[in-house]
Amino acid sequence: MTEFMGYVRPNGAVGVRNHVLLLSGTVYANKLCDKVASMVAGTVSVTHPLGRCQVRPDLRMTRRFLAGTGINPNVGAVVIVDHFREDGMTAEDLAHDISEATGKPVAVVNIRGEGGLIHATEQAMRYAANFARALSDMRRESVPMSKLLLGTECGTSDTTSGLAGNPATGICSDLVIAEGGRAILAECTEWMGCEEWLTSRAASPAIAEQIVAGVKHIEQRALASGEDIRGSQPTGDNMVGGLTTIEEKSMGAVKKGGSAPVVGYLDVAESPTGTTPGLYVMYGPGHGAESISSMAAAGCQVLVFSTGGGHTSSHPIMPTIKVTGNAESFRLMSDTVELDVSGVLRGEITLEQAGQMIFDEVIAVASGRLTKSETLKDDNSFAIHRVGISI
Amino acid sequence: MKKVFVVEKSDNVGTAVGEPIGAGETVGTEGRVTDRTVVARADIPYGHKIALADIPKGAQVTKYGLSIGSALADIKAGDHVHIHNVESNRGRGDKAAQAR
Repeated sequence: MTEFMGYVRPNGAVGVRNHVLLLSGTVYANKLCDKVASMVAGTVSVTHPLGRCQVRPDLRMTRRFLAGTGINPNVGAVVIVDHFREDGMTAEDLAHDISEATGKPVAVVNIRGEGGLIHATEQAMRYAANFARALSDMRRESVPMSKLLLGTECGTSDTTSGLAGNPATGICSDLVIAEGGRAILAECTEWMGCEEWLTSRAASPAIAEQIVAGVKHIEQRALASGEDIRGSQPTGDNMVGGLTTIEEKSMGAVKKGGSAPVVGYLDVAESPTGTTPGLYVMYGPGHGAESISSMAAAGCQVLVFSTGGGHTSSHPIMPTIKVTGNAESFRLMSDTVELDVSGVLRGEITLEQAGQMIFDEVIAVASGRLTKSETLKDDNSFAIHRVGISI
Repeated sequence: MKKVFVVEKSDNVGTAVGEPIGAGETVGTEGRVTDRTVVARADIPYGHKIALADIPKGAQVTKYGLSIGSALADIKAGDHVHIHNVESNRGRGDKAAQAR
């Protein structure tokens, strides 16, 4: 049985990183979080433009994303920074969500409450420094694959994505599940046209119905608009690349989900409650940064990101492994892309071998190997899904 | 001989994933089907699809073993298969609006 080396948290969850998270509650605390993260070892900041003037469902979504990011086992301790206590989603609400779910240390810094920016910066720095030193005493332990929740994503897709990068990612996902782990397939728009690939593997009729209903919900919005979906899906660059219809794009995308049983249906940023090994499908946006942030908030510790054109996408707390089936993209983008599986298309390696390469990289990264993007401190892909307007 | 990639045995299109293919060239196959040849009736750019068999107007164009859309016109083996001769069957708000 394959194992990986992770940090076992008090609630039994296992992190593949041991970050102190500087979590911004609002746009006005972003810079403070960034500054503290640049000054204190072992810290990372997560910032965003939301948390104020949002309609209720949107505010709930923001809270779910921020709390979920703090709950993710890759985070060992959290410092939440807010500028002013405002009902609806306070730093205290977030601290409550995170600490109740995990028991991990959480501190709150309120800029106004501390007597202004300078005092608040000092206080946040002190909390972060103390947490970082305490976390540095933790050691990695060998844990079974049942502790791993793998995220999968594709972005800047081209013709090679559906033929090499995505099916190889799907084989990696199957290998994780065969060893007792779990994986998430998101980007529900891109199940349109191949729902039966997912419903035929659903562990229960209820899950199959949820899959069909999820896609229908999205398709209804397109139908209600009176527009042909061809105006936006596939995108213009997809068509130049040779993708003809949404069905074709979907099939390539769903290949990342491999062939394992679908054992759960999740809402955006919703964490699986069960520990049953298998594939969990997530209703969620096609927007890349929102999609991967949604999977990080659901508890994914590692993400495999398949890309045709090459990519820089990397989540601040969830190591993001990039894979391409396009040799030219690998040549241009190897600063941030880990693996080249273009040999599949030249008949040099099998899809199974490419899947094993990705699986081996997942185990190495879960056990501490830095991704290329982590090494370059290029964590650029935190974004919160919007369901309403700013008011 | 240049080759196109075929995902499933039942597919009636292959994808150009090597060098671009010129009209008149004989093309072989790679992937799940390795014994087919077809003469290209048009230039097939990198990443684009070529018909491996005749596909009559209204019939399904198949890749990954499933329909990726319907033929808008009679497609001959060797034709370039793309948005000029295939239409999506899904998300067609334009058709829903016509029906209303």
